[in-house]
Amino acid sequence: MTLQFKPAETFRDTFTYRKSPEDILRFPFPFPEDAYMYSVNIEPHVRGGPTAAFQAAFDIDEHYIAECRERERVLKEDPKRCQVLPHMLAAEWDSLELIMESLAQDYPEHFSLTRAGDLWTWVNRPLNIHQSFTFGKVETLPCGPFEYITRQAQGDFTLQDQRDDNLYVDGGMVTTQADWSLEFDIGMSFHEWHGPVPLAHEKGVFDRALKYLLRLQYGQPVRRLNWTMTVNPRLDTSPENYPVWGPDKASVTPENVADKVHLRVELQTLYRLPRSNAILFGIRCYLTSVADIARVPKWRRRLHRVLRDLHPDIAAYKGLPRFRQMVVDHLAPLDDGAPTSRGIAPDTDVLAG
Amino acid sequence: MSDQGIKSRPKYQPIAPDPQGRHHLLVVDGPEVPTEALAEGVTPSAFEVWTVARKSAVPGSAAMDEEAGAVRVFRAVPHLFSALEERLARETMGLRLYAAGPETFLWDANGIGARAGLSRQEMAFAHVGAQARRIFCVHCRTVMEGVTTSITTCAGCGAPLFVRDHFSRRLAAFMAVQVDAEVPGEVPPAEELYS
Amino acid sequence: MTAGDPLHVRVRDIVELAPSLKRFSFEPAHGGLFPTPPAGGHVMLTLRDGARVMKNAYSLVSAPMERARYDIIVRLVAQSRGGSAFLHRKVMPGDVLEMASPVSLFPLAATARKHLLIGGGIGITPMLSFLPELKARGARFELHQLAGGEEAAVFERLLAPYAAGEEIRVHGGGRAAFDLAGLLSRQPLGTHVYVCGPHTLMDAVTGTATALGWPRGKIHKESFGGAGGGLPFRAILKRSGIEVEVGETQSLLEAIEAAGVDAPCLCRGGACGECMTPVIEGEVDHRDDFLSAEEKAGGRLVMTCVSRARGPRLVLDL
Repeated sequence: MTLQFKPAETFRDTFTYRKSPEDILRFPFPFPEDAYMYSVNIEPHVRGGPTAAFQAAFDIDEHYIAECRERERVLKEDPKRCQVLPHMLAAEWDSLELIMESLAQDYPEHFSLTRAGDLWTWVNRPLNIHQSFTFGKVETLPCGPFEYITRQAQGDFTLQDQRDDNLYVDGGMVTTQADWSLEFDIGMSFHEWHGPVPLAHEKGVFDRALKYLLRLQYGQPVRRLNWTMTVNPRLDTSPENYPVWGPDKASVTPENVADKVHLRVELQTLYRLPRSNAILFGIRCYLTSVADIARVPKWRRRLHRVLRDLHPDIAAYKGLPRFRQMVVDHLAPLDDGAPTSRGIAPDTDVLAG
Repeated sequence: MSDQGIKSRPKYQPIAPDPQGRHHLLVVDGPEVPTEALAEGVTPSAFEVWTVARKSAVPGSAAMDEEAGAVRVFRAVPHLFSALEERLARETMGLRLYAAGPETFLWDANGIGARAGLSRQEMAFAHVGAQARRIFCVHCRTVMEGVTTSITTCAGCGAPLFVRDHFSRRLAAFMAVQVDAEVPGEVPPAEELYS
Repeated sequence: MTAGDPLHVRVRDIVELAPSLKRFSFEPAHGGLFPTPPAGGHVMLTLRDGARVMKNAYSLVSAPMERARYDIIVRLVAQSRGGSAFLHRKVMPGDVLEMASPVSLFPLAATARKHLLIGGGIGITPMLSFLPELKARGARFELHQLAGGEEAAVFERLLAPYAAGEEIRVHGGGRAAFDLAGLLSRQPLGTHVYVCGPHTLMDAVTGTATALGWPRGKIHKESFGGAGGGLPFRAILKRSGIEVEVGETQSLLEAIEAAGVDAPCLCRGGACGECMTPVIEGEVDHRDDFLSAEEKAGGRLVMTCVSRARGPRLVLDL
């Protein structure tokens, strides 16, 4: 299927972001069961999965051009949203190689990469980019290799260095984040940057996840889904701009809740990189409004049950208290109590309503 | 003291020389080694000690020995830190660095150590003295020193800030976030927590 | 995303570097390029000598930018399990072998202010993988290669392309003439040491460095892993009414799946807990991070993706 890009849509101010029916059905809905609790929900990242969002190494959808433009705008306002510590340069080149090769392989109609030894030529048709450069020579690109390629990918990325049996977040491109700050967290160890998350530490989730990731093998990437909720289809919910988007939370009413409140899902992927032994962590963000989710019977039943029964500490950490009950009240009449199938697949090809 | 349950907040132990280390350098923000900074049974003589007198008339030491038991006195913290940078640049593997003092001193020393190539296994810290916090306004990047209350006003952007327990070792600072971002004016009273 | 599958490789050429040393160069049997070789990475070759199947690990000695071929250097070992003898005597150019995708358990430290490389004998091979990467990074390094009599000249030749302006030394005089303690005691703060060679050399470097105050995290030894497999055993799936043989290099979960049983699993690395299965009989060799120490001691549960039997059989409630 050919993607119809929508370059003019916005993720702030006018919020003209909309999803086509195909785009709703490819949403990586995050709940495999009717209840939610933290777990080490990691699985091999292989092509293919319950929705079309899992078909590529780095997923591209109809919002690609608009999201790249939004990223450009955030970086213009705040260049420190992309930072990489100097010892991560090998990991930067590793990332560029991996993302360029994967995009060219998965989307040959949009991207191509040709190599003659160290001389590489990269073509990105949707963004109208044609760049020749020398692999390994920073001065042949308009900016650092990690920034260069992540400006042309959807979702945030971080780079983890592995040392002393720990992982350190020593670089990142973070413009579409769920309320965490790269400028503040850069250089932190695994447990430090997850410090604010409630309950999961006590359950040993981070101890187990760290041990698993320290053993992550080259060529065998893994993935997991994470979620929160965002008012308005706003990609940049950074702590830096909290005074800008914070008031949105108080703007939800029973009348506008279905269109305003969005389920925000992160398809997180982790790749071991060859030269550097670092881990590239992709945090691909998908936004779908409660109204759009309600068009899939299984998803609306399940979202209702998950939110209704959610642990209050998790709800507070994810910033839901101001509007959670309104979402539950909106979905309750749409939940007929029927059982739901295991897993996240929508179980339908057509949308209701 | 309140505990927000955030795991990035450092925990400290009284210092004992690492038996694996070959040479032990202890830097102190104060005129002498505070007893509570050292583990039971440990004496300052196990370390080469650098202290801060906080006065200008500090004569140069005659011997300048670089061995356990030697003491060097500096005029102020920046004076000590510049000597530390020079020293670490010519040190060899086997050194352990220790620091005792307020939190900002410890993590500024940590930054100097890390830039010189020391890993976390080669450094240890004891927090003694003031509990006041350095904070980093996540909105405008203003750094404020000596904050003792749960809520304070940002000197840079004027936001009423809540001081979180989320701590950055790189910035040697706690994160501060606007407390009334969702409903402007909804500011809880400040509590004196970190004095 | 599919690099976990085995590669089929064709032998391009074989070069005799010395009577006991041969360099094998492989290319992808079905065309295309290999995955970028990781610095310090190794591959596992499956060698089939008649009915006998051997799996041997070899360091890759080709540079990360070279993806049309993978090179390894194999020393003919007098009392080998047969792998090196098979490669030296029976493998010919044009032969196609099965190779597991490269793995790196011996990476370079990104934060090192200096890299000190120490190789002993054939332990030169991962150093040959490090050198182009260190050169590309413009990193500060120093290499000391120990060599037996006739190997010194060969190693000099292999290292020559990297030697200009660098501290690279081949020590032909054996261990006794090599001042390891002196070398380790004069290294600047922030140095990482990497050693590959005979166990006696690796133990000497680790022991000497530790005694001189080097922290564990800055001492790196070549390792081909090996925690994956173990002795074969039989698993009896009581509810399904079937028995499966679990091979040396196969996990319990893989054996169950191969028998057509739809067993639960998610992470395949002993972390998520999804594949937890009740044990009815038999002792478990626990290798996961999920079960608590008490649960492991209780012996009533097994994580099939990583754990094995400590004995000939395991009866599962599956």
